[in-house]
Amino acid sequence: MPLPNVQSLLKTKDSKEVVDALTKTSYGTDIAPLPTQGIDAELLEGVVLRKLQERFYFVSRVAQGKMRELLSRYCARLEVDNIKKIVRTKHGGHSFEKPILIPIPREQSLVNFEALLEAKDIDEVVSLLRDTPYSLSETLQSYKESGISLILERNLDGVYFGRVWELASKIRGVRELVGEEIDLRNILFAFLLRTRIFSQKELEEMYAIPHPYHSIMQSTLHSLVQTRLEDIPNVVTPRYSDLASEAVKLVKGDSPTPLEWLFLKRLYRDAGVTARMDPLQAGFVIAYLLMCECEAKNLVSIVTGKQLGLAEEEIASGVFTV
Amino acid sequence: MVSRGALLRLREQVDLTERGKELLKLKRDHLAAETNRLLSKVNSRKVFEQRLMETYNVIKDAYVSLGYSGLQSEAFTTTGLKVKTLTRSVIGVTVPEIALEQEARVNSVVDASAYTAANKLSPLIKELLSIAEAEARIERIAQELMLTSRRVNALEKAVLPEMHRAMRYIEAKLDDETLEEFFRAKRVKAAIGGHTH
Repeated sequence: MPLPNVQSLLKTKDSKEVVDALTKTSYGTDIAPLPTQGIDAELLEGVVLRKLQERFYFVSRVAQGKMRELLSRYCARLEVDNIKKIVRTKHGGHSFEKPILIPIPREQSLVNFEALLEAKDIDEVVSLLRDTPYSLSETLQSYKESGISLILERNLDGVYFGRVWELASKIRGVRELVGEEIDLRNILFAFLLRTRIFSQKELEEMYAIPHPYHSIMQSTLHSLVQTRLEDIPNVVTPRYSDLASEAVKLVKGDSPTPLEWLFLKRLYRDAGVTARMDPLQAGFVIAYLLMCECEAKNLVSIVTGKQLGLAEEEIASGVFTV
Repeated sequence: MVSRGALLRLREQVDLTERGKELLKLKRDHLAAETNRLLSKVNSRKVFEQRLMETYNVIKDAYVSLGYSGLQSEAFTTTGLKVKTLTRSVIGVTVPEIALEQEARVNSVVDASAYTAANKLSPLIKELLSIAEAEARIERIAQELMLTSRRVNALEKAVLPEMHRAMRYIEAKLDDETLEEFFRAKRVKAAIGGHTH
């Protein structure tokens, strides 16, 4: 079945046409069982996330040896996303509402999501995660003192990328893409810290989390937060100067384009280049997974935008074309 | 019953009713002033709605960027807005008072588009509560104003004139009786005077 064409989906009139277009693609088998009436963006988003999860775990299942271990750790990004969603729900005290999670088969997960969803509060979530790789015990006290769930999420990112980097750093082709993602997330995080009001102690708590760095050193991250906005492109490594300049323009200009979009566009662009360059390299697999993620994000943006009645140009500004 | 006692009681009643009318007029004036004060707040709703629509566009952008589940997840990081509703008495009218106990904290929102939306929405919620309070108050005060105006009008145009008419009737009747009594006494005197001569 063909993959969905983003440009033609953007040109559809409404969400019904999007559904009709998607039924003729590889998403057709997942959309077919849905009721014809009342298909909305939320349902379609569920279909897209399920497909993403299937692709991720299929790739990790068919790989062998060290690559299988690496992909298994890499695919855990969906698991980490789910844990973050649960942490946010418990942090906000919304224990009666359930977040919408990416469905991950129990045998492929290191975490008992059902138990996490039933947890009363963050303390219980942390205690349930204690025996998993995603232990948050070290940062629980800092979180309680500051009341900022970002601290826990940063810890989760640190654990996830730490585990992936441990294996990825040894494989050519994979090292570059994973390293780039770590760098981009670090720079993005520094920009994010600049746009919020945090106390010095809170900032230090977020930097204190152990985090593997590719080419962005921790001292650079400190400088990114403390230096003048206009000087940031000179502080980062030359590889990311142009990106940092664009990010500075976005922050100063109060543009509706989100910062994350800029950084993800760079990541997906480079993944696209890697995928086209050498399909026989290990990096191709990581590039493929990133492309799957890109496709999922695009489809979610399009179906949501169409449901909200937004114009094609408005939706297109949030879509990645690689 | 036509008697001096009845006239005295009626005079007292008129006096009391006049004082009551003046008090009600005072209440009406204060209610009218409060209504005018609240009207300016309620009238700011149009401008507020415009700003809300602009913020909804920012929220739509966040929806497109994150999808439904993503934005819901970001929204969960905001610690709850706490609002308390109390009742107050304004010129004898029970009105609601909305007190913002705790503002929503949006610092934990990670995504930039979600954070922008949350930042724009947060002050609007405060304003929304203020407008809601004004609208609820003006509704009750306007109702009380209408009732009070009706009472004042009823007193001025129906009750008091009727009372004054009754007073005049009794006074006239008493005057007639006094005059009759005087002429009767005069006739009796004349009759008594005639016998003695």
